[in-house]
Amino acid sequence: MKLSLRGVATEARLLLIGIPLLLWTMLPIYHLFLFAISPKDSAFAGNLWPDHPTLRNFAVVFGEQHYYLSHFWRQLFNSLVIALAVGAITLLVAAAAAFAISRLKVKGGRTVMNLALFTYFIPAAFLAVPMYRTMGIYGLLNSQWALIWAMVTIAAPYAIWVLKQASDKLPYELDEAAVIDGASPLQLFRLVYVPLIMPSLVAVGTYAILLAWNEYLYAFLLLSKDTDVTLAVGLGNFLAADDSPWELLMATGLIYALPPAAIYYAFKRYMVAGLTAGAVKG
Amino acid sequence: MAEVALRNVSKKYDEVEAVRNVNLEIPDKEFLVLVGPSGCGKSTTLRMIAGLEEVSGGDIFIGTEKVNDVPPKDRDIAMVFQNYALYPHMTVFENMSFGLRLRRVPKPEIRERVEHAAKILDITDLLQRRPKQLSGGQRQRVAMGRAIVRNPKVFLFDEPLSNLDAKLRVQMRTEIKRVHQKVKTTTVYVTHDQVEAMTLADRVVVMNGGRVDQVGTPNDLYHKPRTRFVAGFIGSPTMNFIPCGLQQSGAGLNLQISDKLSFPVPENRAPKYKALVGKELVLGLRPEHITEPRSEQRGSACEFTVPLDVVEPMGMETMVFFTVKGIEVCGRVEPSSAKGPGEPMRLYANLDHMHLIDPASDLVL
Repeated sequence: MKLSLRGVATEARLLLIGIPLLLWTMLPIYHLFLFAISPKDSAFAGNLWPDHPTLRNFAVVFGEQHYYLSHFWRQLFNSLVIALAVGAITLLVAAAAAFAISRLKVKGGRTVMNLALFTYFIPAAFLAVPMYRTMGIYGLLNSQWALIWAMVTIAAPYAIWVLKQASDKLPYELDEAAVIDGASPLQLFRLVYVPLIMPSLVAVGTYAILLAWNEYLYAFLLLSKDTDVTLAVGLGNFLAADDSPWELLMATGLIYALPPAAIYYAFKRYMVAGLTAGAVKG
Repeated sequence: MAEVALRNVSKKYDEVEAVRNVNLEIPDKEFLVLVGPSGCGKSTTLRMIAGLEEVSGGDIFIGTEKVNDVPPKDRDIAMVFQNYALYPHMTVFENMSFGLRLRRVPKPEIRERVEHAAKILDITDLLQRRPKQLSGGQRQRVAMGRAIVRNPKVFLFDEPLSNLDAKLRVQMRTEIKRVHQKVKTTTVYVTHDQVEAMTLADRVVVMNGGRVDQVGTPNDLYHKPRTRFVAGFIGSPTMNFIPCGLQQSGAGLNLQISDKLSFPVPENRAPKYKALVGKELVLGLRPEHITEPRSEQRGSACEFTVPLDVVEPMGMETMVFFTVKGIEVCGRVEPSSAKGPGEPMRLYANLDHMHLIDPASDLVL
């Protein structure tokens, strides 16, 4: 590869932006990691590397050997189930909605989508109380379904929008060909539409799963029993005391951050392609 | 196998009338081509037959059944689209069998029908490939195969060759004709290419501005166009249109083009044109009827000399362009007799093939 002067300049500029950005994002994560491998008494020593790095914190976490961690596995499982449920339901709702709006051209479909997107103008915190009331009316408080439905509500508008953009790119003749071939709308959805927007479905599903996995406010609000809450809420509970076990909090946090990172790397290809679908003409 | 009939069919989009009162009777096994410039309503007409567009007025019959309110899948038609519309996630076999699978045709029969169609189209080797791995011509064949396996009452083609390069287009044109001769299904074919229309069709429908201008065999349209539009649209290079007038001259008629240029009207035409004397008219004459004087041609009265503007050698013939009353006129001459640009050339107008057009109505008289 020949490096032209121009290429070097461009590369240098990119590095100039990239390196600070990398440091900016990596610093807290390094901090998290540092705490997680420090023994309790040296956690606040302020060293760049602990004198006696240890994996004991992880052993404590996995063994549920602390008051705050007494439901660790249970809460991790809750997080997982809720995230997967939110992902699946969001996909179902969003794919069906995008199909109806983009392919079946249901009257008023665009308006519905725009109204749904409009909800993003209102901060989630403002909607917390109405959401709590609503779940109360449906008798879902203290049920994990309350959190699942709330997260689907929050994830769906964006998911619908992304899927609609992706759907709009599919040639309309495909639908017409299928209709002439004898496909009902449901067969069209199942046999032609879903396979073709699969990359976007993966992206949107991942998005919804991560959104639910990381959610704190609604999980804290809608669930109360220690055995029902997600690990995100469990982590928050660490801060209830004055002398929180920071090293355990950070070790748990690190564990909690790993699945999203893994999911993201597994589906990175789809995330970039899927979420920008329709942004530029392919 | 079925005949198709359109009775007073029209289509309105809000205020715009895309198709107006189209009447067509398409007998069983006919290859009918709808041709016209873009926006003439030909595709809309086809889509109404397919059931992809609703009919605003009139009735459509397939076989003996009125299909206005029958959904596309129950009309027993198959359609080939311009961009092929193959399902990208399915193999060629799956693409071709999709319609049959939806109709729950037994598997052995599906296999048999797909293989039969693949054989007709010579794509047996491609059955396990995906559309992405095929060339344009191969995709086109698969799209046709998908139509053939269904064994429908009617084939509909919507500009199926427009996405192919020129050479492949000619090849596939022949292919479509060959397939139709084998399968013999009633076919409605839409194109904007008059050559495609002429070569493929049993009958051609020329559409213009949402209306049918003329229906006829390719030769009918070529030799007996009913309107100026049809006369100009069919044939390449297009027919020359030159303003002219008719004058009485003894027992016969004289075609007056300019002060210097006038020709005697052939005797057999004179009685027909008698009433037009003194009116403003337009002469329509195809380039092949403006040639160098040839020995078998009668009289020199129809000969004239003009300086040539442009000369285009085509190999087996040469196009010569010259100007009459500010209008560019094209003639087709023997390459050996063609003169160079700027030079005067002696030419002969074969008025046995002339058309006279009323400029007010644009009808051929």
